[in-house]
Amino acid sequence: MNRREVLLRYAEATVGYAGEAVVRGAGLTVESGEIVGLVGPNGAGKSTLLRAITGDSELLCGSIELAGVRLVDLTPQRRASLVGVVPQQVSVAFSFAAAEFVEMGRHPHLPRFGRPGPEDVRAVETAMDLTDTAHLADKPVDALSGGDLQRLAFAQVLATEPRILLLDEPVSHLDLNHRLQVLDLTRALAEKGLGVLAVFHDLELACRYADRIAVVASGSLHPAGPPARVVTAEMLRSVFGVRAVVGTDPVTGTLAVTPIIRDGAVARAERGRVHVVGGSGVAAPLVRRLVLKGWTVTAGALNTGDADATLAEALGLEFAAIPPFAPMDAAAAITCARLAEAADAIVVCEVPFGHGNVDNLLVSVRAGRPLVLVGEIEGRDFAGGAAASYWTEAVAGGARVVPTFDEVEAALDALVPARH
Amino acid sequence: MRDSRDSRTGPALAVLAGGLVAAVVLGVALGAVRVAPSELLGALGRALSGQQSGMIDTLVLQVRLPRVVVAALVGAALAGAGTIFQALFRNPLADPYILGISSGAGLGAVVALTLTAQATALRYGVVPLAAFVGAVLTMALVTRLASWRGRLDAASLLLAGVAVSYTLAALTSFVMVFAREQMATVVFWMMGGLSGASWPYVAMIAPMFLVGAVASLAFTRELNLMLLGDERAGHLGVDVRRFKLIALAVASLLTAAAVAVAGLIGFVGLMVPHMVRLTLGPDHRALLPASFLGGAIVLVLADLIARTVLAPVEIPVGIVTALIGGPFFLWLLVRGERS
Repeated sequence: MNRREVLLRYAEATVGYAGEAVVRGAGLTVESGEIVGLVGPNGAGKSTLLRAITGDSELLCGSIELAGVRLVDLTPQRRASLVGVVPQQVSVAFSFAAAEFVEMGRHPHLPRFGRPGPEDVRAVETAMDLTDTAHLADKPVDALSGGDLQRLAFAQVLATEPRILLLDEPVSHLDLNHRLQVLDLTRALAEKGLGVLAVFHDLELACRYADRIAVVASGSLHPAGPPARVVTAEMLRSVFGVRAVVGTDPVTGTLAVTPIIRDGAVARAERGRVHVVGGSGVAAPLVRRLVLKGWTVTAGALNTGDADATLAEALGLEFAAIPPFAPMDAAAAITCARLAEAADAIVVCEVPFGHGNVDNLLVSVRAGRPLVLVGEIEGRDFAGGAAASYWTEAVAGGARVVPTFDEVEAALDALVPARH
Repeated sequence: MRDSRDSRTGPALAVLAGGLVAAVVLGVALGAVRVAPSELLGALGRALSGQQSGMIDTLVLQVRLPRVVVAALVGAALAGAGTIFQALFRNPLADPYILGISSGAGLGAVVALTLTAQATALRYGVVPLAAFVGAVLTMALVTRLASWRGRLDAASLLLAGVAVSYTLAALTSFVMVFAREQMATVVFWMMGGLSGASWPYVAMIAPMFLVGAVASLAFTRELNLMLLGDERAGHLGVDVRRFKLIALAVASLLTAAAVAVAGLIGFVGLMVPHMVRLTLGPDHRALLPASFLGGAIVLVLADLIARTVLAPVEIPVGIVTALIGGPFFLWLLVRGERS
């Protein structure tokens, strides 16, 4: 099955419930051999789009085609033979044997009075082998665990031998092991030529398993594209209202999404300006906390690519960027001095100081603004005593020294009274 | 288990068929007058060869045999209807009697009986039809009431069934007030009696039963899928709305057939599917035919008890089934509460 065929096509499709449109004018194709992921905020209509195929939501306008045939021209039975729907949750209150349960998936292929033939038996056996459920064949389904039941439901879908697979947040309630099992199996089936359309709650799983991703937001379906093109910091901000860092997972090599802060929380900022001296991710937890509390945070010189710099970029903070591993230059020092002087208070985090960054401390101490120092300088002066001497100067000048981050906020509140 | 279950279905159906033959023979042979097996065979032989015959032959062929055949058909129809209702509502407590469908059919039949008091011939056509109309209307009413707030849950279904059942019983009594001269017949009929059963009754019920039986045996796989829930059944190719309408109509037809000839006989539709499910499992491809056979056996035997236990006094067979079925229903309820 190397030739790619369009198995599922939404054309100007408007879908919804009870005559009310939820998603308008959606356009999307799923080809054989690919997994297309739908992502988007809760209630945006991902499931509504998916459910329109099985008639569980309404196709109000436009068309949906399955293997080139319009949905309206398919009988429920014919449609069921083309499309397999992996259920979100399986509940059983009756004691069918597992194999009987899986065999129900053959229904669309059987004539009215027909008994299952050799072909059907083979399909059931293959489905149970693929899902690792063959050993359960004789067990009553109402005595099985949730994980077994989920795999059995998958087997039931596969027994139908569908060409298109629909998954609606298929793994959100599964443990880690079963999550990977279901998704790896889905991947393997796509490689055998099935077309898969899946709703993902988890963006990282979507990036990891989907070949293309389409975003559903505010009543419309954005064009599908490769994960790296679709899942970006800008998209996360505009669609999910979240400032996030999009990086690469060091192990899987797929996209890693780290949400940092809700956009709404940032927008309310009006507490005062704090200049934070950090580096290598030491300041990140404090910066996040201060931003949440409504402080306008600026940062000292940071090497781009380090965790503090990435966070500052994602939050849109003003800071002096210097190239990775480079020492502070004159321009960075000037920027730092300007930011420090403009601040209502300055916080120096527990970073090691060397020749490359000791100027951060210097401009902070000399800025003439209220100063909060975190921890002790002992053991982190790698600048030949310069850092220790600036530190002593600061303490002599009235800087507050707090042992950990936890006391920083109280110190800032004392130094900068809240404006009402 | 699956293979053994599959391979068990054939023999189980054969055993049940054999049991039905045995029950029929017992039903014909036993009673106020005992008929020896040899006389039984003789009577059948003479009937087939067209010879004229004596009193025993009349007893066997004109009294006992039609009565036993009607009992078998009524029992099968009720058990089949119960099986279908239990699958559609995914509720093991559903049964035409408990859901009020029998009462609906009963009201229809009583109205027809009253209106056709002077025209006996007409009755055989009108009563079953009226019973069917009554059953379908009640079905619509009960499901409507039970799904008042969206979903149709087990408790509200049973409550709606019971409430509707009471109301219809009152209406039935009300109709009877206007037909005093018919009261005794109607009351006895309502309690579930087979005492008047004759060949015209068989002719009345058999076509309805056959249509219902063949239609329902054609959709046993859909009944299985309905146990997975409406949505899953839809995913696997069942046109759920359409199927529910058809299946409810078929179950109502079977109920109406039973009620039109035998009045209100409770609990057969509840007990029989249960007992069969315990031995053959929930697969309707085995469950439904086995329930038809089991229902027939149960009612033939219950009628035998009704005729013989206080002989020569005959008690309505509905009382026999209620005496056995009522406690059975309670047992199911209690067991369901505990699990």
